[in-house]
Amino acid sequence: MRDLKHLIYFENLLQEANNDLVKQAKADGKRAIGYTCYFMPEVLLDLPGCFSVRLRAPRCTSPDIATYYMSARVCHYARSLMERALEGGFNFLDAQMATETCTATCRFQEHLEQKHIDSVKDMRIIDNDDFFCSFSDVPFKNNQIAYEHFAEQLRVHVLDELNKHFGIDVSDEAIRQAVEQHNEVCRLINEIGDYRKLDNPTITGYEFHVIQLVSLVCPKYLILPYLRETAEELKTREPDLKKEFRCKVVLAGSENDDPDFTKLVESCGARVVCDRYCYGAVESRQPIELKEGEDPVFTIAKHYLVTSNCPRFMPQDEMRARKQRIAELAKEYHADGVIIASNKFCEYWSYERVIDTVILKRDFGLPVCSIEKEYINSASGQLRTRFQAFVESVEIKQIQEGK
Amino acid sequence: MCKFGKFLLKFLGIALVLNIGLFCAFFFDLDGKLLFNVVEPFLKDHYDNMERKDTLKTPYDIHKFPKYDYDS
Amino acid sequence: MDIKKALKDFWYGKPHTAEEGGRRLGDLHEDKTHLYKHREWRGFKDTMYYFYMIWLYNYIFMVKDVMVMGGLVNFAKGVWRYRWVGQTYLPVLHWFDRGLEGMRGEAMKASAWHYRAMVSTTIRQFQRMFAADTRLHGGKQNDLYKHTIAHNETVWGGVFYPWDGEIQNVPLEMIPYFVTCHVNSHTVLNYIDAVQSIGLPGDPCPMCQAESGIFVLDDVPDYAPAVVTCNEACDASVSTSTLQDWFFDKPLFSLPMPMIFDDPLVKKYCMREIEELWKFVEQQYGIPFSWEKLVKKLEQQNELQRFEWEKWEVAGKSDYYPINGVAQALYRIYQTQYGDWEIWHVTDKKVRKILEKCVSKKINSFPQTRHRVIAWSCAPLYYSNWCTWAYNCWGLNVIINMDSLMFDMTIRTDSYEHTLEDMAQYHMWAPMRRMAVGGMRHMFELWEYMEKFNCDMVAMYDQLQCKGVQGLHGLFEDEFRDRNIHAFWVPHALPDSRTVSRAEIRRLINDYMTTVMHEEPLDPSLLDFDDSMTW
Repeated sequence: MRDLKHLIYFENLLQEANNDLVKQAKADGKRAIGYTCYFMPEVLLDLPGCFSVRLRAPRCTSPDIATYYMSARVCHYARSLMERALEGGFNFLDAQMATETCTATCRFQEHLEQKHIDSVKDMRIIDNDDFFCSFSDVPFKNNQIAYEHFAEQLRVHVLDELNKHFGIDVSDEAIRQAVEQHNEVCRLINEIGDYRKLDNPTITGYEFHVIQLVSLVCPKYLILPYLRETAEELKTREPDLKKEFRCKVVLAGSENDDPDFTKLVESCGARVVCDRYCYGAVESRQPIELKEGEDPVFTIAKHYLVTSNCPRFMPQDEMRARKQRIAELAKEYHADGVIIASNKFCEYWSYERVIDTVILKRDFGLPVCSIEKEYINSASGQLRTRFQAFVESVEIKQIQEGK
Repeated sequence: MCKFGKFLLKFLGIALVLNIGLFCAFFFDLDGKLLFNVVEPFLKDHYDNMERKDTLKTPYDIHKFPKYDYDS
Repeated sequence: MDIKKALKDFWYGKPHTAEEGGRRLGDLHEDKTHLYKHREWRGFKDTMYYFYMIWLYNYIFMVKDVMVMGGLVNFAKGVWRYRWVGQTYLPVLHWFDRGLEGMRGEAMKASAWHYRAMVSTTIRQFQRMFAADTRLHGGKQNDLYKHTIAHNETVWGGVFYPWDGEIQNVPLEMIPYFVTCHVNSHTVLNYIDAVQSIGLPGDPCPMCQAESGIFVLDDVPDYAPAVVTCNEACDASVSTSTLQDWFFDKPLFSLPMPMIFDDPLVKKYCMREIEELWKFVEQQYGIPFSWEKLVKKLEQQNELQRFEWEKWEVAGKSDYYPINGVAQALYRIYQTQYGDWEIWHVTDKKVRKILEKCVSKKINSFPQTRHRVIAWSCAPLYYSNWCTWAYNCWGLNVIINMDSLMFDMTIRTDSYEHTLEDMAQYHMWAPMRRMAVGGMRHMFELWEYMEKFNCDMVAMYDQLQCKGVQGLHGLFEDEFRDRNIHAFWVPHALPDSRTVSRAEIRRLINDYMTTVMHEEPLDPSLLDFDDSMTW
């Protein structure tokens, strides 16, 4: 296929958290607001006057100082973020909107808090006098009580704080404006992503992963023109005559902001057609529907709880339904199998992976490749062998079924 | 010696022997040795060889249970 | 032979320290199995007390409890069916031995009463499980089954007070897993291996692994029609529920507890979720909520808390506190987590008498104390009695531990709103290891409690697979250094004795005491011994 015009530019944007567009937005006088988890609604951090940056620590393979602070037995992602913060890589942040949605990232974000308790030294990790960190409580359930609670949390711990510290306009009108921008990003990403549903997709999983990531880590108003142009470009993009893949897979699992991982899967013959993982588009790029007369904060709170498929959710019906959702995604994207990848030390996905591996295969007839990975995958040789074997097994299954 | 006296002596004798016996069991940890060397290996063997259900075959009915939500 | 000394030793027991001739407790044990060659002679009075009032008394009362609470037949069936009871609860007196080794006088007595209460409550729970278990009764759901509710062990039993006497709550894992690790550390390894055999990696919290493993091995009685679960204390607990739900396959209510509990707004949310739970119970069992019962039980629980505060007062301000570190910790966590029960009151009454005697007669039950230690974070379940060893060997007296301090409150009963508010607070604090994962400031409450309990040393538990505590490892190191606090780390993997052995824990403490503190052991026979095969 013809190379995408902006792909190299996008790849470069992903090399640093403080990338060119972030710098440009800061130069425009906007406040950079960091977050780690889907449950922190990025749309509220994209209000006029500020912009969201979902934190990543690209190329961090050896988080030594963070390992001293957090030990070697904590998720590599959280440690890498900590390392990057200690190196000064997040000094551009004006605030961190934190959530206690998994223990490891919670601990990372707690380290960022400044001057908050006397009982422990102030590390001043983020060297920025304006910086503050605010925690919101995210419910484990998906019910009316949870929606109301979460909406209140967002009002008090996100909107009020942004207004208090930086004078950000948090009126309903401003929120609606941010939602409109957010929805345009969603529309474009979905339009781009839908090409993965084609029999012979005109976009690779890697390319989509890169595009989705830039939409998370760059100021929306600055990345939008590039997304528009890319969507336009894809309308006429021709697929390779000969398929460059042997099967199509859904990639599901825990935190994954490493496009090279997707590239690794694809280099083994599997085309990643759906990204059902943290930082993926399945959850985060569903448009928010604001209706007239509705409280936008409540609607947003509900939206993020309803759309999440995180294994953190505990209601019995939810626990069970999310297995079916993966199966439905496989059907929708015409995938031949599912790769379930959990990050080492990610407790939510370690368990979820065990169940998915059995249930998706047994009850939904989907071939499943179940792997454990690191945040940055230096041990690609082992994974390559696993993926190659999986692709072969899917092919054998297809032959046996006469496909 | 009267009957009651004999009974009392017998009772005290038995109680004494029982006490001494129990004390010996206590002091020389005979309960521990019995449990460690005989009872636990026997039970362990029993549990190791028990037929157990293959729990991975437990059904997983997605729609079996409703949403327990009472405040909506 | 020195007859005078022999007579003195016979009457009073041998002295503690090596300088005084020493009792050399390490020599009492066989190698590897750590069974006694012979039990300790504690002096005439204490040995007789231990023999009659601890060893014999507890054996008799264990049988009595089994007979009264469900009967011998149910017990025998349960033992035959479930590994965790058969393999674990028979050597229970050796659990006493390990915890009470070297104790004398009032410390031995008070600590033993705590143990007795835990045994009784444990029997009560597993007997209820067996009596209601459909597997032991030909698949029949009897009346007891219909009036029992199962719940995750991190759900505070107090939320079921409104149904006291009508519905019996029995935690799913407290007996099959949690208590077993203390009594016989071998049992739980089967469950950890079982869950890893289906693909779970070895790094999630091993406590949660074991809680899942009992389900994987099909070793959980089917004793209740419904289950209540909870997200406490960590991510792995949440996920454990997912696995348990699959294998238990019963109506399950999730009671979510906000982790960052300082925010007053989260309390409101938590209150509403507790009300949801009550509606679930009413719906599942058809028995209405009773405010009167709730109040009655909460007031009884408050009584227990008030006595605990009295105990803390004595522990913090004097040397007359007669309860050893392991008895204090286990009793307290068991009592507060499970909730109010008669045996706690009976025990507290007995302990109060001993406590008052110690205070009024100024009895120092731990006369060889060199350091007053606070134990912080979560303890190794397979070696909860390390503090007994540490006192005997080094004079390290564990005054208080983090787990005991989590539940530091009474619950108001003057209005529905206040009660619910306090229950929410209690639930958020207590079973979630308030200081371990409830926001980092609570981990560092350590300094305040050190002062309150007049401690000069910290035993810092290092649960290798607890992400919450591991995530603050470096800050603790920094703070210990900056504050010049003597602290030693106790690495462990909660129930899994294979990760860090007991011998390794002792070696690390020995190293610290010799190389940092430059101290000599009180009892050198305890420095190094092989107990690798012990329960």
